[in-house]
Amino acid sequence: MTVKSYVENILQPKLQGDGGWVEFVSLEGDKLTLVFRGECSKCLILHRCVSWIEEQIRLELKINVKVDAIRRRPYFQDV
Amino acid sequence: MAHIKVVRRSMRPEEWTDLRFGWLKRHIYSSKWEIENLEIRDARQTAEMEFEYYSESYRPLKKGDMYFTPDGTAFIKADVALPDDLKGKELWFCLKTAAEICVKVNGKYIGGVDPNRERMLLSPYIDENEVLHFDMMGYNRSKPDDERNPESLSVRGCRQIFEGAYICTVNHAVQDLVWDFELLLDIAKSELFNEDYRAFLNRELNNAMNLINFDEDELSGIEQAKKYIDEVIYANDTYKGSGDVALIAHSHLDVAYYWRRIHAVQKNLRTVLIQLRLMDKYPDFKYTHTQPYVYETLEKYYPEVFAELKEKVAAGQFEPVGAMYVEPDCNVPSAESLIRQCLYGQKSYERMFGKRVNNAWLPDVFGNSWILPQILRKSGVDYFVSNKMSTWNDTNRFPHNNFIWKGIDGSEVYASVPPTHFITWNMPSQIQENWEAYIDKDTGGQTLNMFGYGDGGSGCTEEMIEMMHRFDKLSVMPKCEHVGGAEFLEKNLKGNKNLAVWDGELYLEMHRGTFTTKSDLKKINRRLEYKFRAAEMVSLMRNEDNREEITEAYKKLLINQFHDILPGSHIHPVYNDAMDDYREIEAVLDRIIGSGKKYFNTLNFRRKSLTFIPNKNGTSVRYGEKGNWLIPDMPSLSSSALRSTAYKGEWIKAGDTVETPYYSVKFNADGSIASLYDKELCREWVKGDFNKLKLYSDTPGNYDAWDILPNYKDKQISYEVAEPLCFAGADGECAEFICTLKTEKSTWQRIIRLFRRSRGIEVENNVDWNEKHVLAKAEFTPDVLTRKVLCDTSAGYIERESHRNTSWQQARFECCHHKWCDMSEFGGGIAVINDGKYGVGIDEGAMSLSLLRATIRPDVVSDMGIHSFCYMILPHGGDPISAGVNEIATEYNVPLIKCDAEWTLPHFEPLYLQAAKKSEDGTMTVIRLSEQKGTRGKIQLDRKVKMLNMLEEAECETDVIEYKPFEIITIGL
Repeated sequence: MTVKSYVENILQPKLQGDGGWVEFVSLEGDKLTLVFRGECSKCLILHRCVSWIEEQIRLELKINVKVDAIRRRPYFQDV
Repeated sequence: MAHIKVVRRSMRPEEWTDLRFGWLKRHIYSSKWEIENLEIRDARQTAEMEFEYYSESYRPLKKGDMYFTPDGTAFIKADVALPDDLKGKELWFCLKTAAEICVKVNGKYIGGVDPNRERMLLSPYIDENEVLHFDMMGYNRSKPDDERNPESLSVRGCRQIFEGAYICTVNHAVQDLVWDFELLLDIAKSELFNEDYRAFLNRELNNAMNLINFDEDELSGIEQAKKYIDEVIYANDTYKGSGDVALIAHSHLDVAYYWRRIHAVQKNLRTVLIQLRLMDKYPDFKYTHTQPYVYETLEKYYPEVFAELKEKVAAGQFEPVGAMYVEPDCNVPSAESLIRQCLYGQKSYERMFGKRVNNAWLPDVFGNSWILPQILRKSGVDYFVSNKMSTWNDTNRFPHNNFIWKGIDGSEVYASVPPTHFITWNMPSQIQENWEAYIDKDTGGQTLNMFGYGDGGSGCTEEMIEMMHRFDKLSVMPKCEHVGGAEFLEKNLKGNKNLAVWDGELYLEMHRGTFTTKSDLKKINRRLEYKFRAAEMVSLMRNEDNREEITEAYKKLLINQFHDILPGSHIHPVYNDAMDDYREIEAVLDRIIGSGKKYFNTLNFRRKSLTFIPNKNGTSVRYGEKGNWLIPDMPSLSSSALRSTAYKGEWIKAGDTVETPYYSVKFNADGSIASLYDKELCREWVKGDFNKLKLYSDTPGNYDAWDILPNYKDKQISYEVAEPLCFAGADGECAEFICTLKTEKSTWQRIIRLFRRSRGIEVENNVDWNEKHVLAKAEFTPDVLTRKVLCDTSAGYIERESHRNTSWQQARFECCHHKWCDMSEFGGGIAVINDGKYGVGIDEGAMSLSLLRATIRPDVVSDMGIHSFCYMILPHGGDPISAGVNEIATEYNVPLIKCDAEWTLPHFEPLYLQAAKKSEDGTMTVIRLSEQKGTRGKIQLDRKVKMLNMLEEAECETDVIEYKPFEIITIGL
């Protein structure tokens, strides 16, 4: 399974269950760029979730990545 | 002389009190013994009580570890042998968490923790000489902006740090004093109370704090401080408050919202469990809980807790309220759906507890249809409670709190729209605010104040009850009485001759977008409502007993009419669940309806409207399916074979002006109509934009899925005409004109159909919708002078003023309607009939059908993708009632079915046959009739029938049905 597929099919439904949203942007070297929307975009402890994502990818796909988390807040929360 | 503002930088006495209050709270626990052998297993819930486990076994869980995963469930366990020094003491289990955890010890549920509470009493539920086997099940719903406990915001999220689990002893003297300070500080900080009293409190609380010595590990002076508060503060009755407030414990539980329905099972368990344990501790505590559906989940999955609940119900402490199966949206569901909410709700309560309830308890619904009072009264419901109109209206202050609500047919229910929110934590300031906001002080008796955390359940806390026990010590507080829901309603509203009457819908001046958001759900809900009607009729005609299957499917539909599901205000997985449910329901109904050689007209009036009949050899296409347009001309409740006509004559002339037997039409390239000349009525129908697709910037803010703002027309979004309207062909009945409109991201195909034998003009819309923050409307500005729009309610029509003189009229710029809306003057008008849209904009001489939205909260991709829907423009002579708009709209929405069975019962014209079913007990045939024109009359029958209420109980027998305007009548045969 590719990292993109793992993010979109395995991680995404889990984050959605908490009102969150993650989108794969790119994987360049070990830099995995993800966009976080929904509740993730304003989560005060998103860094913990990002660490968990890195850990899951390491465990499941045997790949070490460093996530670059981009928050896309809705306009009404972009303060 | 320059004025320099004096700013105090040194600590105020009140701040000194607050500081020490924080220190005091650190001493609530006299001892804490950490459970160090906890183990955890991560999982994710996939269905009710079904889990996908992330590991085969448990792993150790230590303080400081991360726990919980996105959408995760955590199972936590430990075997604990109590140390000898804890034995013989009153023990508590303590776990501070931002998650929601139910705790079982040695097979018995002892309580729950969540962001609003961190401990539960252990001693009464254990044998301290046994090893204690802890089993915990935790859910982490990270909705971060709820009102339950803002202090927990910073730790709410999918991954949390475990702060340890403890067995504790509580220093009750300190705890009592903390509650005293909590109570009194709330008053001291609230501007709602007398200024001098607050100064007195600040002074005396400081004095009380001064009696405590905080310099030693073991606090001293606690008793003295408590005595000081009793003798100086509580004993003071110089300052008099006023008011009479009924305190009703309640927890609002959204069946689905920022969580899926499958998670509500445990949210409900936790909520119920916590209230049961509070009842164990506080025998005077009463709690109200709604929604028979959630009781059923408890009964099914947690029978031991349900058995306890039943005992508390029998004892009068736990009060089931709310006759409806769930707390549904009360705008979009049809009359029959609302009736079934009551029928199945009451039947469930009756089965579970041997009694029904006489109230509808709908604190959070987004406005209430005018058809509701009649449905409630005929379902054994005399009282109605709903909060939103008082607390959430954006323009006008709703003028009553306790009043009589008169329905469309003149039925009346006693109503309470409490002055403040349904989620409060029983603080004096919240109670005072409720009293001050209460409008009906002189006429309504007590005011209703709900307390308890909610949205995701949770409910009351020890603190709330302890506050309540102290209120009568405070002369400055309103008089407070802790009562049950029914008790409050009967005491204050029943027979109260002074109550004002509100005659009309209970329109909520907010959440106007919920008539449109998640348009797929609305369209399928409409289709299934009518499919249930057909399935029940077919079962009757074939003499098949499908009650069990139909009831199960119906309940599933009703659950999905919950006020955060059908309105569209939920996260994406909730939408997926609803669509899955709809597929299952439809499969069941299709199986029951089956097929036949002939077509059957399920309507109890002659079908004479041009209708599309699918046929693979047909010459027309609608919704991508081949078929023929034909006039069935089928009598009421009859079957026949249908043949399409093969009209070969020239009936349409397409050019700059399109000529049909009814109209001369001039189209614009975008499919809007520049001129619609009516050859029969010799008049022009178009005055301004007509069938004009308009896209508006739709940015309502935080309540994105919920709201459309009054200024939504401020910014229009342009689109290009990618393919101008052109004639696409015609057969003997129908001519099609097609255009394609485009924005940067979306494509909108409009197929406009003109007919040889119908006055209707149909618009099929096939949309690839990829917008953000855009509201799409079809606007109609007819050449009609009127100041009202008639809107179908599904059981009669409501007249809404279209001019904007008053703030009340201005606030109703977007309303809910069902199958049709109409603007008419004497002699004729324009109706717009839809097949699944509910929002209608009303603006002076124009109306607009709301088609699609593109919101991003709570669902980032709400409404994105492919949509197909139709509406029909129907110019007509006379008024909409005599023109048969309602019948035509019903034909438009109720398809002919393939069925060879025969109808052998009376036809009941001119009433609308709303439902025909086997009674719930299987002993009779139940017929539901609805008067939808606003007329009065009699139907002579050839036999005696039982007149029933909506719970299918006989009230009398008759062979003459006398009906009144907008009456819904249920009879048994």
